[in-house]
Amino acid sequence: MGDEDDLAQSLEAHRKYLQRYALFHLHDTALAEDAVQDTLIAALAQSRRFEGRSQLRTWLTAILKHKIVDMVRKRGRGLPANTLSLNDDDSGDASFTSKGAWIDPPADWGLPDAALESQQFWRVYQECCRLMPQRYGLVYSMREVMDLSSEEICKKLDISTSNLHVILFRARLRLRACMTKNWFGTDHG
Amino acid sequence: MGKLMYSCEQAAQLSSRAMEQPLGPWERMLLSAHLMMCRRCTSFTRQIAFLRRVSRKIPEALDEDGN
Repeated sequence: MGDEDDLAQSLEAHRKYLQRYALFHLHDTALAEDAVQDTLIAALAQSRRFEGRSQLRTWLTAILKHKIVDMVRKRGRGLPANTLSLNDDDSGDASFTSKGAWIDPPADWGLPDAALESQQFWRVYQECCRLMPQRYGLVYSMREVMDLSSEEICKKLDISTSNLHVILFRARLRLRACMTKNWFGTDHG
Repeated sequence: MGKLMYSCEQAAQLSSRAMEQPLGPWERMLLSAHLMMCRRCTSFTRQIAFLRRVSRKIPEALDEDGN
């Protein structure tokens, strides 16, 4: 019993981090709390599987990722359609002319790494992620923030590899444009 | 013949795909040829690679936001 109490206490210590992680992906405090609660319960139930094989936080985060993806899937909203092709950009703000030239050509960002030191940069970045249409945002953050493999994402969301590439491309175009507009193209950058 | 030169849209799209899977030899050659001549797409390619690095650091950044 003592061991379980210890575990419960250690889990509690990671709750705030998990909450922020969930909120980053779900953009909804109540949903994020649910995801974290489910994660902690699952962690307690499976505690025998943990056995200190990996860092507790890494293990908890791995459980949480799956809860987040399941939650978004269950809600059904914001899921990528499987029929997207490169030719039907539904977003209404195209990045290229009909001949494939840049409408708003990317300019040099200089040495962007300096920005990583700035708290404000991270806030702008998170806001740009949040502003992405959900059908791109989820896939983008599964791939780039959760660092899930392409295969895993395609399987979980039941989309084709080429569809995944289209979505990631569009997400990157948007994020890049948003960061240019709100950071690198301003006095900060 | 038209296929010998990528448009910026094709080049940018391939740069993005190259982050997911290795390109074929032909694609790789045409892409580097385009990038050699096109500063815009070179910037784009660097920037999306930078954004990947930033995204992978998000979990750390969330941690440092305070406790």
